[in-house]
Amino acid sequence: MSQGQNREWELTCPLVSSDIEKLAAGDLVYLSGPVYTARDGVYQHMLIDGNAPPIDLQELTNVSLQSSPAGVEVSPGEFEVASLQATAGFRYAQYMPQLLEEFGVKAVVGKAGMSEQVYQEVFRKHGAVCLTTMGYGLGAIYGRAIKKVLGVYWVEELGISEALWTFEVDRLGPLLVEGDIHGNSFFAQVNDDINRQLGALYEGLKPPVYGRIGEEQKPETELF
Amino acid sequence: MSTTSTAISRELIYQVAYETNKRAAIVVPQDGLAAFGEAWERESKPLAHFILGQILENAKLAVADARPMCGDTGLPRYYVKLGNEARIDGGVVALERALRQAVADITQDIQLRSNRVHPLTRRNPGNNTGVFAPNIDYSFEPGGDWIDIIAVHKGGLFGTDYRMLFPADGTDGIKRFLLDNMAEFARRGLSCPPVVVGVGLGGTKDQAVTLSKEAACLRLIGDRHPDSEVAALEEELRHLANQTGFGVMGVGGDTTALDVHVEIAYTHTGGLPIAISQFCTAYRRSVARVFPSGEVEFREDPQWFTPYYRREGIE
Ligand code: SF4
Repeated sequence: MSQGQNREWELTCPLVSSDIEKLAAGDLVYLSGPVYTARDGVYQHMLIDGNAPPIDLQELTNVSLQSSPAGVEVSPGEFEVASLQATAGFRYAQYMPQLLEEFGVKAVVGKAGMSEQVYQEVFRKHGAVCLTTMGYGLGAIYGRAIKKVLGVYWVEELGISEALWTFEVDRLGPLLVEGDIHGNSFFAQVNDDINRQLGALYEGLKPPVYGRIGEEQKPETELF
Repeated sequence: MSTTSTAISRELIYQVAYETNKRAAIVVPQDGLAAFGEAWERESKPLAHFILGQILENAKLAVADARPMCGDTGLPRYYVKLGNEARIDGGVVALERALRQAVADITQDIQLRSNRVHPLTRRNPGNNTGVFAPNIDYSFEPGGDWIDIIAVHKGGLFGTDYRMLFPADGTDGIKRFLLDNMAEFARRGLSCPPVVVGVGLGGTKDQAVTLSKEAACLRLIGDRHPDSEVAALEEELRHLANQTGFGVMGVGGDTTALDVHVEIAYTHTGGLPIAISQFCTAYRRSVARVFPSGEVEFREDPQWFTPYYRREGIE
């Protein structure tokens, strides 16, 4: 395998628990089947303001992307997506308990993952995984995997970028398993090594004569 | 007016603004492709090597399918260099209209993401234009009767920072600030490394930030500052950035920064302002020169930092 030690999985959405259970932090995944997008706008509108989704999301799938696609309305009511990428997921940790609990989501696809603590406390409890897009700029590869835009909802309320998009995807990947159902984070493991190197680089560099508020934070701190 | 040059037509400016904007979204510039290729060849970590290979593959597919290289198409913006003798049909106001129109049209035509929203209401006009959007920055060049139009799609919510250092902090302070910036934004690949790092050193606070962004976006990878001390600092900082080991996507790897470019500006005797900007993996830039004859010349090198632009004396 060209990617070295990382295992690869081809999975179908909605995901079944036997598939999710075998995923370990650091594995690569390709997804096929229906998925939907939800980020700032949808989380606020659906989870906080309590608006019921216009379609039965749980019936459709259990995979949700933290993404606003590069897509447009090509003719009235008809949408196309050229390119796709997810956005940094750490800022959505607060919505995860409700999303996983009420909407039965089993895989959240974001960018860069969330803290190990969120995996331990929320994802593990629901037997869910957190995947991240890769590159990160693999927009054309991911865009190609979108076979069909199934529907776009809440365009009026949220604008086209924050709207709820549903897609049929074919081999959407590579995606990296960032958080697995045991609560392990891929990046947390990687960062242990990097932090050791980083500490050595700071050695011998004198600190600035005028500090900044919050400077007592060490460079190895996870900022979320 | 003593000038006799023919005016450059506003239609031509629109067409070039449209085309550069389109290419910026889709085509990775040559220096970027070469640098990603070298990073891929050199990479010793298997996962990082695999991801760099995917980035190269993505660059190919984007061109083959004419689709944006990244799903976050960033914030389209223009840098315009006006030759001192250039005349525009309709003046600079017509030029600005043409650039704004081109951004709105290209958003629909190649399916850019409508990223620009009102900061408070979050209202999205759906075409990447609005108050102060797109950014248009200008510089000037003696003698020329042409206009350079440079489209950049700058990505990233992460990677930019500013700090007031002091002369006593010296190179140590600069290095620390770079390490801080990497530790904060390259971790988990938030700023999408490998990046081109731009450092704005000196000037006023706003100049430092502006220069850092121009240094990141408007110089070819491998280019060195003509001031040998600045050039030496660029080499040192590039080495330091890569020693952090964050690598592509922050997964651990040999290349975190494809290059580091430093721009300096004369500053207050008591201070050492510094700003850093990171130009992400979606390395998006396209450059064209428009001549009054109607000729258009696309090229790779932005040639933004001319000797005149960096001049030290009065002239
Ligand atoms: S920062 Fe990352 S996600 Fe954003 S445009 Fe750049 S490569 Fe794409």
